[in-house]
Amino acid sequence: MFWDEKEDWTYRLDSREKTDGYASRVREIDRSIGAFLEFDPHRLSDLANANGAETSSGTHTESSAKTASGMETSSGAGQYPELDGLPIAVKDNIAVEGFRLSCGSKILADLTAPYTATAVQKLIDEGARIVGKTNLDEFGMGSSTDNSALQRTHNPWDPSRVAGGSSGGSAAAVAAGMVPCALGTDTGGSIRQPASFCGVYGLKPTYGSVSRFGLVAYASSLEVIGVLSASLSLMRTVFDAMKGEDGRDQTSGLDTPIPAETRRIGVLKQPEGLAPGVQRAYEKTIRELQGLGCETVEFDLPILEYVIPAYYTIASAEASANLARYAGIRYGYQNELAEDPRELTETSRDEGFGQEVKMRILLGTFVLRSGFQEQYYIRAQKIRTALRNELDLLFGQMDLLMLPTFPVQAFEHDSSEMDQFQQKVADKFTATANLAGIPALAFPVGIEEGLPVGMQFMAPMHGEERLFKAAERYRRVFTPQLAPAAGRERSRS
Amino acid sequence: MSATTAYQTFIGLEIHIQLLTETKAFCSCTVGFGDEPNTNICPVCLGYPGVLPALNEQALFMAYQVAAALNCDISPIAVFDRKNYFYPDMPKNYQISQFGSPIGRNGFIEFPFNDGIRKIRIHDVHLEEDAGKMIHAGDISLVDYNRAGTPLLEIVTEPDLSSGDETEAFIHYFRRFVRYLEVCDGNMEEGSLRCDANISINTPGAGLGTKVEVKNLNSSRFVRLALDYEETRQQKVLEEGSSIQQETRLWNENRDLTVVMRRKEESHDYRYFPEPDLPPFRPSRDYLEKVTGSLPELPLSRQIRMAEQYSLEAEPAAFISEERERADFFEESVSAGAVPVDLYNWMSGDVLRHLNRAHLGLGESTLTPKRLADLLRLISEGKIHGKIAKKVLQIIFEEDQDPEQILEERGLEQITDEGEIRGLVRRVISEDPAAAAQAAAGEMKVYGYFMGLIMKMSGGRADPQTARRVLEEEIAQEKQ
Repeated sequence: MFWDEKEDWTYRLDSREKTDGYASRVREIDRSIGAFLEFDPHRLSDLANANGAETSSGTHTESSAKTASGMETSSGAGQYPELDGLPIAVKDNIAVEGFRLSCGSKILADLTAPYTATAVQKLIDEGARIVGKTNLDEFGMGSSTDNSALQRTHNPWDPSRVAGGSSGGSAAAVAAGMVPCALGTDTGGSIRQPASFCGVYGLKPTYGSVSRFGLVAYASSLEVIGVLSASLSLMRTVFDAMKGEDGRDQTSGLDTPIPAETRRIGVLKQPEGLAPGVQRAYEKTIRELQGLGCETVEFDLPILEYVIPAYYTIASAEASANLARYAGIRYGYQNELAEDPRELTETSRDEGFGQEVKMRILLGTFVLRSGFQEQYYIRAQKIRTALRNELDLLFGQMDLLMLPTFPVQAFEHDSSEMDQFQQKVADKFTATANLAGIPALAFPVGIEEGLPVGMQFMAPMHGEERLFKAAERYRRVFTPQLAPAAGRERSRS
Repeated sequence: MSATTAYQTFIGLEIHIQLLTETKAFCSCTVGFGDEPNTNICPVCLGYPGVLPALNEQALFMAYQVAAALNCDISPIAVFDRKNYFYPDMPKNYQISQFGSPIGRNGFIEFPFNDGIRKIRIHDVHLEEDAGKMIHAGDISLVDYNRAGTPLLEIVTEPDLSSGDETEAFIHYFRRFVRYLEVCDGNMEEGSLRCDANISINTPGAGLGTKVEVKNLNSSRFVRLALDYEETRQQKVLEEGSSIQQETRLWNENRDLTVVMRRKEESHDYRYFPEPDLPPFRPSRDYLEKVTGSLPELPLSRQIRMAEQYSLEAEPAAFISEERERADFFEESVSAGAVPVDLYNWMSGDVLRHLNRAHLGLGESTLTPKRLADLLRLISEGKIHGKIAKKVLQIIFEEDQDPEQILEERGLEQITDEGEIRGLVRRVISEDPAAAAQAAAGEMKVYGYFMGLIMKMSGGRADPQTARRVLEEEIAQEKQ
């Protein structure tokens, strides 16, 4: 009921009845997925109507009642009409006023966002419907979404497996057909890895092209808001609508697109440690790109071995400061038995944060100690600079790079073959783009052993067009499909 | 201060000034003191999840003004850093500050002290944000975040000061300096200018001693008292053969002594690192030219110039140049025709008294340079004398009128017409012939009595000199 024959999402939330129909269907699907931490497609229009009634000063109860029932559509006068009435899910580390902003953490479980992120507001202004908040690894720290303190999210292709992370809720919501697209955040691969695990597209834009105002900071210099979708054209529209300079984020800048050249594609020479299914898919993708007329050039990137230490040093250092504000004083989880401010902060943090978050805060505190910065933090920054320089050299010869997204496909919950340390090591293909600030797009390339596999393209700064164009071309050999459950949904219509 | 001079004292200051911006350093909240607690706040200055700082350009410009006025080397790139420590009044539990590459470094400032000029080196000038305020009330602690995120400029001096007296004079001058620049109101009691001091002593020629930091200095007087106390305490420690502990001490203003707050080993590791949310600022040449072009003449040079230009003694020159507003007023009055020395006498006397009584600044009062110059001109032209002039000044302050208008409307102009005065003189003499006889007999006291009557009869308007002369003539007539 949500798609047409060309698999375009056609269902618009343009009346209260249609929104009700949509909501009950999604609730039914999500019962077995657990993608949403909060789902209420009426929330924002109800709040807007309530505010409208408030501002239209008291006595006009009759007219405001009328507005409340009628006002489900927006003006529709936006720049992107395809967004009008379109349901969009937002990862729960991005602020949407009136919705919760839990970040998957006990420490913020009861927090309602008092403002809306710039990127989300731009979509709302285009008439998009924010329908709910999706699950994630606590504060974005993880690759499975199992680090959420609030809920488990299952991969729509196989509920015994994880959806990936940290934007696992967003990826699962898209793959299960509950929304045509969802916002995620990508700090080290958190959009692309779950996109590949769930068989959808995942865009990590150029650092600074989308405002971070309203994105709850984990690693400020690495992360960016991006999009997950089964539709490339919709993904591009959402990106276009969100991007641009924002006075409230001074690291944001104008998007200055580069020529959309995509013919010469660098492919990573002998990526190490790929699982057999991913290895097969990788080789297949190279052959298919060649078959599509692309020139593939093998490249070596020895510095890739240093990406993970550098990435985790910088990310943890920034996280240790970014998460210091959760102190149980102004908002969030509070140990009400604490006797003094110091105890309040210590115990609230101890009880409010999960293990992985505590580990990264400690690691970040460790690497920033005075006298040790040269050895850790500054060294990591040097690796970062060196990586950028090497990528610049590569992009002098190639239009795009193609790499695996993750060495394995979606793994089982609590899998012993992918412990927390192994999950970190496996981030090296994705974290490269975050360290360099460049855009990257994960795209599904096939189904291996019943599960989706994805690869990723990387482009120079502001090269998103290259990514879209190359992925669009690849669609000729493989068209992504939604998870089987979503397929059933489609056949009904 | 101390009994012995066997030691040399080194004092350095860390001065914080609250910049007079309209909004906070990183958000658009109003900067307002004394407002209802927690009213000038928003998600940004409360450190809500997901917010980002946006640097206040006015604060940045003021920071460059101070750095330039302090003759600093301006960093080609100003970097913001995070200074990490937990405190309930600090919303993010890190302070955005500057560490590695501040606004300015290696500057100096000159100030008048003991009839000479002293030069103090500036280590650096850096921009940061203020925290909120914690109020402890019995069992509970309250936090007011109105101040959180207010722009603060920290100025760190080298340890070039050598006594409590000198430091007090320096702080006095520094306050004047920031008020001239109009970047801070300089109010130490309200905390808009705050100061921590570090002090060490050593035998002459041996270099710096072990540094002790003293905090909680809420007035320049406390700075002097605390430093004098510390100097003596440290001398005693050394003379007893012990050594100074590197530590932070608090001035206790009720007991007039310093007490240990924390030892060196308890000091924080602030884990500074570059603020990823704020791109480094690279001032262009145009920008820096705009900064230097905006600087006013600074108080010390102005004081020296005015002393010379208007032939003023040291004290009048210091008074006149104390505040930029006062100096401007003075020079505008001179341009409007006032004689500098007379002007100084009026400004430091009656004008100041009126202002103090009404708790007004010169700029807020109804007295303008033109009005004061006109008043002085009326005196020198003999149209009014001192007593009437004081009355006119009062009317200017109370009723916002020009001096000439006041004279005209109230008939206050001096009576200089000799015939009119002679009439008055004859009248008082004829009304008291006995006194006139005494005067004629040479009793000088009686002249004063008659003068009083004449002034009373004329409503104070009779020109005293003419009246006296005519009175003497008329008494002489009586004798014959």
